[in-house]
Amino acid sequence: MNAAWLPGQAISVIGAAHQRQGKPCQDASLCCQLNAGHETLQLLAVADGHGASRYWLSHVGSALACAEAEQAVRQALTQTPLRDQAAWRQLLHSELASRIHGAWLVAVERDWQGRPEAAEQPFSALSYGCTLGLVLLAPQWWGCSGIGDWDLAAVAADGSVQLLSEETGGTGSEATGSLCQPLQEQPWGERALLQPIDEQAPQALVLSTDGVRKSCATDADYLNLCSALIELSRSELQTGLQQITSEGSGDDVSVAMALRPCHRPSATPTRRQPAIRWALAGLTTLALTAVAGLAGWRWLQQPAPLDQLIADLCKAPERIRPTLNQRRSQFAALLKQPNLRQQLQAQANTDPLGALIASNASQSCPTLQLELQRQWREARAAGVKAPAKGKMPATAPSPP
Amino acid sequence: MAFPNVRLSNRPLHFIYLCDCSGSMAAQGKMQALNQAIRQSLPGMAEVARQNPEARVLVRAVRFADKAEWHLGEPTPVQQLQWRDLEAGGITAMGDALDLVAGALQSPPMEERALPPVLVLISDGQPTDDFDAGLANLMRLPWAQKAVRLAIAMGHDADLEVLQQFIGPEPSGAGKSPRRPLQASNATTLAQYIQWASTAVVGAASMPASRVSPVGEASGAAPAPGSNIPLPDLPPTLLDPSDDVGPLVW
Repeated sequence: MNAAWLPGQAISVIGAAHQRQGKPCQDASLCCQLNAGHETLQLLAVADGHGASRYWLSHVGSALACAEAEQAVRQALTQTPLRDQAAWRQLLHSELASRIHGAWLVAVERDWQGRPEAAEQPFSALSYGCTLGLVLLAPQWWGCSGIGDWDLAAVAADGSVQLLSEETGGTGSEATGSLCQPLQEQPWGERALLQPIDEQAPQALVLSTDGVRKSCATDADYLNLCSALIELSRSELQTGLQQITSEGSGDDVSVAMALRPCHRPSATPTRRQPAIRWALAGLTTLALTAVAGLAGWRWLQQPAPLDQLIADLCKAPERIRPTLNQRRSQFAALLKQPNLRQQLQAQANTDPLGALIASNASQSCPTLQLELQRQWREARAAGVKAPAKGKMPATAPSPP
Repeated sequence: MAFPNVRLSNRPLHFIYLCDCSGSMAAQGKMQALNQAIRQSLPGMAEVARQNPEARVLVRAVRFADKAEWHLGEPTPVQQLQWRDLEAGGITAMGDALDLVAGALQSPPMEERALPPVLVLISDGQPTDDFDAGLANLMRLPWAQKAVRLAIAMGHDADLEVLQQFIGPEPSGAGKSPRRPLQASNATTLAQYIQWASTAVVGAASMPASRVSPVGEASGAAPAPGSNIPLPDLPPTLLDPSDDVGPLVW
């Protein structure tokens, strides 16, 4: 058994755009329990087939990627005890990559040979191109590895959420690492991680394909979404993912996630009995109607957007870094063009975050002030280097 | 189902026209043809936007003559766009236009999750300012490197070399390619190219399709031209000189 983790769940939902175009879901996902003697290792995996026409069999590629990941981990379990964390770290860093990539190539070529097109065209792994992210959950540790633009977020015991791993590098907004590349071009090691289960261990891990994060307006919204997703039942998750793709990127969306037994629902749970939800919805409507007349008066009483932003961030310090991380390029731009400062300050009503960065208005909140100082240091250190894909780096910068 | 504190959002797709408004555009009805072509393309562009709700198509336009300025400065949803006619007069400050667009492609104001923008440069002449500096300023920006960059040469006085520089390296092989400046020799051809850029290209750029990072790109090298968005085929042009049919008007 695996006392450290509850059985998780994995689900993939076809993107709204793909559904409309009659294309298959190119994502695949997996959650399974693998026996390891008296213990159990849980595997989470998501794979995302590249959507463009040259990757026309990527829906097959992603399904085979998940299947081969399971086989490779299953095989590793027969040779490597879970207690040997050093060996598993090495597996996550490079050996699993080699095994999965090799098996995946064999599997996709076998699939190709069974197709009528094989008589006329040579096999190309490119047609099956996909990403693969995997998370291993052992009683003593957890780890992750993979290739491509998947994301991994951790929900802590206090409800705060942190982006643990994302793809970095590359300047093309839709470019990603892929299983169809030669193995030496696949930087699995950059995303490999193994952490012991201790007091600092996350209470939940959420692995997702890029369609989920790209459906959120900002990274802070993505982190909020992760904390909401872990509260959902499977049917709610299915509905939720449909909403995410239809109101967001239109891309296929997949999540695979698992919780630890001591996870407590968040302070503002989203998972409630339907009857209670409906009652709450009715009460909310009545309450909204009752206060509608006061709205005009109340907005006059509202603090300025910049003050409101500072107050909001100060109340939720776990949101400070993800919020500021979204604007790393703005820190860099201000270093190069200090005259942007006045322009941003003048737009405080429409862009309070920009005004916050451009001003020195955070003194009332020491935590925010410290993080701003840290961001400035990082921006100076980074020089003019452009942000990868307009997103945060995979690993948070080290504190000074 | 509601996700509290989560803002879901479709992805902005910025489409920017860079229009030559130099004095020569007044000759032979070129300015009128360009205005007409853009205006006529808008319903089709709006329909493509409607069919791809995951992309929020936002249009802007720069006019350049003695200097460059925003003709349509606010990113405007295509469904709400009312095209105001451009007027010709002056010289060809193309480098200045690229500088202006560079300012708009900085991040911010460009959104983190935007789709690669589409830039369409239309000109009938040669730049009269420092084109190289403008291009260098533009191309240092990641969003410009990711952009789909197209160029339309109006008539045979257009400087194909600078238009090719704007697009990126010329592809190998003969024949027409969206990776070469599109040569419009009359109003009909121009309208077809504008229609193609505003519908087929916008449709392609709206699709949430990922691709494999080429070797070297992971280390920060610019993506190869055209590698971001697979461009659709060019429309057949009845009077295109490369098809060797029809009279030349411009």
